[in-house]
Amino acid sequence: MNTNHLPEIVDRSETGPYAAESDFDLMLVKKVPELISRHGIKFDPKVLVPSDDAMVDRLYEAAVELFVDIGAYNQTSERRILFSRGETEEIVAGQPSRIVLGTGKDAVVEVHREVESLVPCRVHSGPTGTPSSERHHKLILQSCAQEPLVDCLGAGSVSTYMGRQIVPGSPTEILGTRRDSAEAREAVRKAGRPGMHIEDNATPLTCQGKMAAVDPASGLRTSDGMLVSQMVEMKTDYDQLSRVAYMQSIGMHIVDLLVPLVGGLGGGAEGTALLTVAEHILGAVLYHPSYHFMGHMHLMRINNTDRMGLWIQAMAGQALARNTPMVVSNDIYCVSGTGTSGLLWEVAAGAMIGAVCGTHQHGMGVAGGATVDQTTGLEARFQAQVAHAALGMTRSEVNELVLGCLSHYEDRLDDPDPGKSFPQLYDVATLKPNGEWLDQYESVCEALTGMGLDIDGAWRRVLRDRDLAGVVS
Amino acid sequence: MAEIPEEIREGLSTALHEGDEEAAESFTRRALDDGVDPLELIKEVLVPTLTEVGENFQEFRIFLPELMLSGEAAKRAGGLLEAAIEAQGKVVTTLGKVVIGTVEGDIHDIGQNIVTSLLSANGFEVVNLGRNVKPSAFLETAESENADIVGMSALMTTTLPMQRRTVKLFEEVGVREKYKLLVGGGAVSERWVNEIGADGFAPDAAAAVELCKSLLGV
Repeated sequence: MNTNHLPEIVDRSETGPYAAESDFDLMLVKKVPELISRHGIKFDPKVLVPSDDAMVDRLYEAAVELFVDIGAYNQTSERRILFSRGETEEIVAGQPSRIVLGTGKDAVVEVHREVESLVPCRVHSGPTGTPSSERHHKLILQSCAQEPLVDCLGAGSVSTYMGRQIVPGSPTEILGTRRDSAEAREAVRKAGRPGMHIEDNATPLTCQGKMAAVDPASGLRTSDGMLVSQMVEMKTDYDQLSRVAYMQSIGMHIVDLLVPLVGGLGGGAEGTALLTVAEHILGAVLYHPSYHFMGHMHLMRINNTDRMGLWIQAMAGQALARNTPMVVSNDIYCVSGTGTSGLLWEVAAGAMIGAVCGTHQHGMGVAGGATVDQTTGLEARFQAQVAHAALGMTRSEVNELVLGCLSHYEDRLDDPDPGKSFPQLYDVATLKPNGEWLDQYESVCEALTGMGLDIDGAWRRVLRDRDLAGVVS
Repeated sequence: MAEIPEEIREGLSTALHEGDEEAAESFTRRALDDGVDPLELIKEVLVPTLTEVGENFQEFRIFLPELMLSGEAAKRAGGLLEAAIEAQGKVVTTLGKVVIGTVEGDIHDIGQNIVTSLLSANGFEVVNLGRNVKPSAFLETAESENADIVGMSALMTTTLPMQRRTVKLFEEVGVREKYKLLVGGGAVSERWVNEIGADGFAPDAAAAVELCKSLLGV
C-alpha cells in the first residue's frame, strides 16, 4: 500500500462484496460472540481494571480477526471494504506514535502511551458531545483553554446562527461553522495560547461544513485537527472519507472518532470491547489519523462510567497500547451534570483508568450530552489533576480506587443529579468558577487525597517536567 | 382447531428467546401440522414472548444482538403463520401501520431501528425508511402506505429542525390530521414537541410502543 490509499479504498468500496446493511449487521452480530468465546474474553464486574496481559492480547487478536473477516461497511456503496491481514498489520504498524499538536510555543508532543506508562497523559478539553448555546460557547471554550493543565481544545456544537436554527447543508451551516472556528481561535488567543491545538469544530454535519472550518487567519489551521466519524458499528461512507481526502491534502490532523454502543450490536462488555479495538484498526486503515478518539457509550444512558464502560476502556486501552503504536485518547461520558460531585467522581474513575491503561485524556461528555452549556473549565482541571496523580500506579491499585469512586455514584446512574449550566457556575465576566462549584471540587479533591492520590502535588511535577513529556516512554 | 401442545408452546418460546431460527421454524411447522390455529399461536406464544424479549432489552437483561436474532426467528415463524392464515381465507391484522425514519441530515439510525424491532414484535406493521429521510419521503410513504403513525427520529440538536420541517409539510398539504406524528431521539423534549406541533415523543423504545398503542387506542 502506498501512503495515499484513498483511491484504493474507493476501488474496494465499489468492487467489494455487496451486502444490505441489515445483513452486514447480522454478520457482525453472529461473528462477535464466536470470537469472544474462542478467545476466552470474560468480563468480571469486580475487576474493572484487569492486569491480565494474555487476555488483553487475545482481545487484540480477536479484533484483527473481526476486521479482516468482515471488513468495513461503506453505507454509500452498500459494499464491504476488505483488507487482508498482511495489509492491515502493515498499515497499523505505520500508524504515527508521536505527533506534534498545535504550533509555536503552545505546541505539545503527544505520544503513544504504554500500559502503566510514566509518560503523563495529554489533556484535551472542551464541550465534547455536549451542545453549547450561541451566547456561551466562546466563554466555555476560553474557560477550558485558560486552564494550565489543558493541552488541547475541542470546539463544541452550536445549533443556531444569529438565533435561527442551523439547517445542515445550507448556508447557515457554513456561517455557523466559520463563527465557531473563529470563536475557538479567539478563545485560545484570549487564554494567551494562540498556538494551542484545536481538535475539532463540532457544529457542521456535512463534509462541506467541515471544510468551511478551516481558515488559517481566523479559524482552524493545519496544526489543528477535525474528527472523521465511524458509524455504528464498523461503518463509514463517502462523506466521511471525503473529509479524510481534504484534510490529508492540506496536511491537517485527522482524528478518528468511534463511538461503539454498549448493549448495541456488539452486545455486552466483551463484545463492545472487541468492537472498540476493531474500530481503532478500521480507523487506522481507512482514515490514517494522527490520533484516535475512543468514545464508547451505553446505548441508553449515553455514558461509559458504569462497570461495563470502565472495563471496556481499560481493556481496549491496554490492547491498543500493547499491540499497536497508536496514539489513543478516551472520552469520559458521564450521566451527572456539571457542578455536581457525581460528575467529579465519574471523571475520576475514567481519568485514572486512562492514566494506567495507555490512553490520553479526552475531556468528558456531561449529563448524557442532552443539556446545553454543561461544560466548564474546572472539571477539565480536575480530570488532569486526577490523571497526573494516578501516574506510576499499577492497574490493580487503580482498580481499587476506581471501585471506591464508583461507590459514590453507581446507585444514581439511572437518576443522576442534572447539575447546572455554565453561567450558573462561572462568573461570565471574569471567567472564574463560583464558590458553590469550587466547594464541590475541593471536597472531592480532598476525598481523593484521603484515598491516597496526590491530587495537589502530582500536577506540579508534570508541569515542572513538561519539556520531557512525550520523550520519556 | 387443536390446543397448543405444551411442548410446542415452550419450544417455540425458547427458540424465540434464543433467536434460533431453525427451531422456531420447526416448532411452528409442527404446530400447524398438529392443527393448531395460527392466530392462536401468534396470540398465545409469539406476542407474549416477543413482548417479554422487548422488556428484557429495555431492562438491559439482554442486548441488541439478542433482540435482533429474536426478531429474525420471529420473522421466520411469522412468515409461515401468515401464509397459513391467508390459506384459510382470513386477513392478517396488525395493531396499526407506522412509517418511521431518521430525518434528513442525520445518520444516527440505531435508535429508530430498535423502535422498529419493538413495534414489529408488538404487532405493528412498520415501514422503515432508514436514515437521512427527506420530509417529502415521509409524506409520500405515509400516503402510499396508508399509515396510521409517522415517526421521525433525530439524535442531534442540529438536525431537530428537520422534524419541524416535516410536520410543517404535512400541515401545508392538508393531511396533518390523518396521521399521528411522533418525534424521537436524544435531543427531543416535551417542549420541542409542543413547539413544532407534533403529537408526542417517547424517551425510549419501550415507551414508544406504549405511546403508539395509546394513540391508536389498541
